[in-house]
Amino acid sequence: MIGMFITSTVYAVEVIVNVSVKDTTLTTSQLKRIYTMRQLRWSDQSVIKVFVLPSQHELHRRFTKERLQIFPYQLNRIWHKLTYSGLGVAPTIVNSPEELFTAVSLTPGSIGYIDMPDSNLDEGAVNVINIED
Amino acid sequence: MLSILKTNTATTQCIILSIVALVIFSIPVSAQEAIASTEYNAYQENTSNNGLFNAGDLKLHGFVALGVIDVNGSDFVNDDGSLSTELTEIGFNASWQLDSQFRLAGQVVYLDGGNRYEKGVRVDYALIDWSAIATENWQLNVYAGRSKNNHWLYSSTRTVPFARPSIILPQSVYFDGFRDIAVGHDGAGLKLSHSNDDYGNFDFNLTYGRSPISDEQEEILLSQLATGKAKQEFDLQSSFYWQPAFSQWRFGLSLLDSDFSYESARPEKPDAFFDAEFSFQFYTFNALYEGEFWEFSGEIYQSRFETTGFYFPQHHTDNIAQGYYLQTRYKLTPDLTLLARYEDFYLNKEDKDGKKLEEDSMGLIPAYFGYHKDTVLGLSYDFTSNLSLRLEYHWVQGAGRLTPVVVPNPRKNDSEDWQLWAAQLMYWF
Repeated sequence: MIGMFITSTVYAVEVIVNVSVKDTTLTTSQLKRIYTMRQLRWSDQSVIKVFVLPSQHELHRRFTKERLQIFPYQLNRIWHKLTYSGLGVAPTIVNSPEELFTAVSLTPGSIGYIDMPDSNLDEGAVNVINIED
Repeated sequence: MLSILKTNTATTQCIILSIVALVIFSIPVSAQEAIASTEYNAYQENTSNNGLFNAGDLKLHGFVALGVIDVNGSDFVNDDGSLSTELTEIGFNASWQLDSQFRLAGQVVYLDGGNRYEKGVRVDYALIDWSAIATENWQLNVYAGRSKNNHWLYSSTRTVPFARPSIILPQSVYFDGFRDIAVGHDGAGLKLSHSNDDYGNFDFNLTYGRSPISDEQEEILLSQLATGKAKQEFDLQSSFYWQPAFSQWRFGLSLLDSDFSYESARPEKPDAFFDAEFSFQFYTFNALYEGEFWEFSGEIYQSRFETTGFYFPQHHTDNIAQGYYLQTRYKLTPDLTLLARYEDFYLNKEDKDGKKLEEDSMGLIPAYFGYHKDTVLGLSYDFTSNLSLRLEYHWVQGAGRLTPVVVPNPRKNDSEDWQLWAAQLMYWF
């Protein structure tokens, strides 16, 4: 499984969720709300747990621009404001795509992102979310 | 006595630097991994989530910022104008999710800013957060305890070195001499957020509370001659922000109403001042544009300060101050950001050049105490996702935002033009 992360081919950034998440489709607006911490619950009212890579990570930069259509520094500002003013909780930062995948596969209600071909996903470890504009 | 004081200061600085070193060398390596791994490990071990303490719901964060600052021509940081290391800000916070609706959060900070504010440790916030409504489009949170002011453009991040735009913020709004009163309050607040695909994001904040005023804060604001007790009676604030859908602009306005009182120490002790009531109102309008490379922001504001008593029992003044600042940031590379800002503020809209102030004080207070204009150039470089360096230079005209406020000190601040430069290294986790 490690091998697929070192490949030089650039794959589309896919949004993944824990298998406990019932939602299978999200709009770009919903995804943006989830990552800007303006939507905290799934449609069944369970709590959303958001995982991200460090803000300078290349995959994080691609995810914010391609999927969220906002800039990484804007996300940082929103999260810093929540974390250091006590107003809310920001996403949990993990260090590598492998850790992010593991975190999402093990944490109920969680959401994250990867870049790899679908066929390489461990069968049933996470669900890939279909994103509509 | 002086030497003992100096030794104590040196010991305190040593202890703080040791803590800083410990934090820098121990936490960075493992903090994020630890936080992340406890989060999903806890779920593995405790999937039913019925334990008393779930480590995954405890989040720990903090920051350390150290720097040097040099001011020429004013007592903004120190009295002798020497290069100073009084630019230390250390913070540590915890957030503990009790259940899906209730959360506890608190932050402690240590600050050393020279004359800018009182040196030492304070509780930045300590609150309980009730998530009363959380749907796809609506959120309502109710906060109780000590909360941060969240109403102005940078009010909630003014104490967080890497989250604010510059080392020294526009002093007319984010006046360091008033920091400990303006930064938050003991009381309650609510935040209502609405996200709409057609009309954008709306945020409404309302807070009510008061801040304690320490003796040193009182000295900074009033003067050493005020031996009585100053008190904030109440502080009521609200703000409204709107970001149109698919827009890179955001607009906000804020309203503040607050009353203070001063109880003279007379006749028990000598006091230069009499009993007083102060009433303060402050209105701001702000706009922010966040593009891929360019960022523009600005705030325009007006305040009304009414004084009854204080100088003598029948004294009454009603003063309107006004100002604005415009700021731009440009991302030269994803890690290197340039900053330029201009700020213009005058304490009395009827006396923009301060001439009346000088006349009324019979020449004791020079005219340049009536305004504050600051031109800033700066840059900030991100070495990693949580280590940054910031440099900036300020050209200031006027002494309108120097302390003490009520009884200005023209002997120390004998120059209309003064400059400062500062460099600060910031780490956070």
